[in-house]
Amino acid sequence: MFGWTGTILRVDLTKGKVSREATDPQLARDYLGARGLGGHIVRSEVDPKTDALGADNKIVFAPGPLTGTFAPSAGRFDVVTKGPLNGVLAASNSGGTFGPELKYAGYDALIIEGKSAKPVYLWIKDDEVEIRDAAALWGHTTPDATDLVRAETDEDAKVSCIGPAGEHLSPISNIMNEMHRAAGRTGVGAVMGSKNIKAVAVLGSGAVKVADPEGFKAAVMKARQMIQAHPVGGSGLKAYGTDVLVNILNQTGALPTRNFQDGYFPTADKTGGESLAAKQLIRPKGCFSCIISCGRVTKVDSPDYKGIGEGPEYETAWAFGADCGIDDLDAITKANFLCNEYGMDTISLGSTIACAMELFERGIITTKDTDGVQLTFGNTAAMVEMVEKAGRGEGFGAKLAQGSYRLADSYGHPEYSMTCKKQEMPAYDPRGVQGIGLNYATGNRGGCHVRGYTIAIEVLQNGAVMDPHVTDDKAGLGVTFQDLTAALDSSGACLFATFGIGGAELTEMLAALTGVDYTLDEFMRIGERIWNQERLWNLEAGFTSADDTLPRRLLTEPIKTGPSKGHISHLDDMLPEYYQLRGWDEKGVPGKAKLKELTLN
Amino acid sequence: MIVKYFATIRTYTGETERRIDDAPAGMRELLTSLAARYGTAFRRAVFSGDQLSGEIIILVNGRNVVHLEGLDTPLKASDEVSIFPMVAGG
Repeated sequence: MFGWTGTILRVDLTKGKVSREATDPQLARDYLGARGLGGHIVRSEVDPKTDALGADNKIVFAPGPLTGTFAPSAGRFDVVTKGPLNGVLAASNSGGTFGPELKYAGYDALIIEGKSAKPVYLWIKDDEVEIRDAAALWGHTTPDATDLVRAETDEDAKVSCIGPAGEHLSPISNIMNEMHRAAGRTGVGAVMGSKNIKAVAVLGSGAVKVADPEGFKAAVMKARQMIQAHPVGGSGLKAYGTDVLVNILNQTGALPTRNFQDGYFPTADKTGGESLAAKQLIRPKGCFSCIISCGRVTKVDSPDYKGIGEGPEYETAWAFGADCGIDDLDAITKANFLCNEYGMDTISLGSTIACAMELFERGIITTKDTDGVQLTFGNTAAMVEMVEKAGRGEGFGAKLAQGSYRLADSYGHPEYSMTCKKQEMPAYDPRGVQGIGLNYATGNRGGCHVRGYTIAIEVLQNGAVMDPHVTDDKAGLGVTFQDLTAALDSSGACLFATFGIGGAELTEMLAALTGVDYTLDEFMRIGERIWNQERLWNLEAGFTSADDTLPRRLLTEPIKTGPSKGHISHLDDMLPEYYQLRGWDEKGVPGKAKLKELTLN
Repeated sequence: MIVKYFATIRTYTGETERRIDDAPAGMRELLTSLAARYGTAFRRAVFSGDQLSGEIIILVNGRNVVHLEGLDTPLKASDEVSIFPMVAGG
């Protein structure tokens, strides 16, 4: 095979057994890799109703065919499993260097199943695979654990690991790669914790075979030039990072503020990418084969929040910023560093703290619940303290580490949890941008922006432009973005490559790499197949069309101030058309004709 | 009228915002006067020939001018204008 290695590695932690199997060429063609192929493996092997934290769940690390090549920003992989936060077919996408290294070691996917009786880590060096004792690693933060694993294996090993949050089975815990890159949504860290596996370290000496080297080189160079010529992919993200979005979303009136009680934060500029570049940025950083370099290596000098690390991204700056009523960028960046160290999802934890702040201000919880802390909006020190507590799973932090839905529900007020399918929504208010609300509601892993980023068209004017306040044609926009992203994720490319190239260029690179005569139509069909695969799993797990909705607040309470004042989400105007365009019935169930067309069952 | 600048636009203007006491009649007049103040780099950022550049995002009270009347969008003294280069992230 070209592009794929042709081998899948399977590790049974219960039996301590390692085995290998051939990658099915037809499945590789139909699902590419990463999110698509990993999803197929999980759907084929795991009961959708199984306990996500039980021994019967499996966790798959899968790069895509482009991963590890010199295609632009082709360093991605997905962690796929039954998600402990909400039970969906979870796939959490990450950059860094771990994915390419797994490929160089010879694997299209790593399947981890069963449960170890004691803490272990996995050491993969090409064909040599060892399950090693991790007693000395347990309890350590992700940077410390990474250093310890490298000291025991190889200083060049690429390490993917969980922090204390994953060990405590927090359903909003991450898997951290190379210390600073996160497989960061749906709580995949807890699945590793439940299996008593602290880390996976990998070192490979192989390469990715290319079917048409000259054709691939030409396609890659064309794609790289297009990205470099784009004002965002070529220079904007490198200069300001993703946090540059704070101001444009705020000026549009769609920056969720104080747990989505408003859509405008007057002092947001203090937390934006311009401020970050001026105050904290040491240098931009890219993942494997990246020419965009959106990553931020940052330093905080203020005594209360001193530290060096990476971040924040836009979503993080919002979650610990406007959503908590906070405009202290040093505190926000410190919260980001702590999340990376403890291995926690910044979006979910920030939104959960915002939810707790609202519960506190409404008198539903008091200082008796919060370990004596005045947990009010804008209380910067309290926010950072709560991040620490959540990471350690101590006191009120143990409740925060369960995510906002479980937190609010435990006090009898789930309506204050700003979640879709129990996963916290990111940093775009659906009342100010209608299409993204449809994407959240139909998101097959819950509240999520990176699987249908309609913001690119509704706000950012990237390639085309649509009015964020209208609902017309948003169903079609959502379907197209969801399918394109599913295929892109599964190829191993980074979503940000689309700030320069599109499906046509990705198809061209894939065809030359693999030797498969992919067309753009087939590429989009693969995306549609993957989206429907995830939908089928979720239906089998018990989700229904009633879950395709938004928090009641967004449907009934208008934004109070700013440019989108008076607006609510008009989800009901878009959802029926979305189902129709998907070929699903009025209950959101894929029809037989659609499944046959997609060769799904 | 208040005009706010963001990201690389700030490197052309040397300031984050400017209050304008005598509001021009429309967007074209505003941008032309700002280009005269800030110079060539700003002009190239906002105009493509005599049209609005496709790589600039201009909001009037939060609404992108492409959803209003583009360069012919009328302005009034109480308006807030925000000028962005193309940005993205997520």
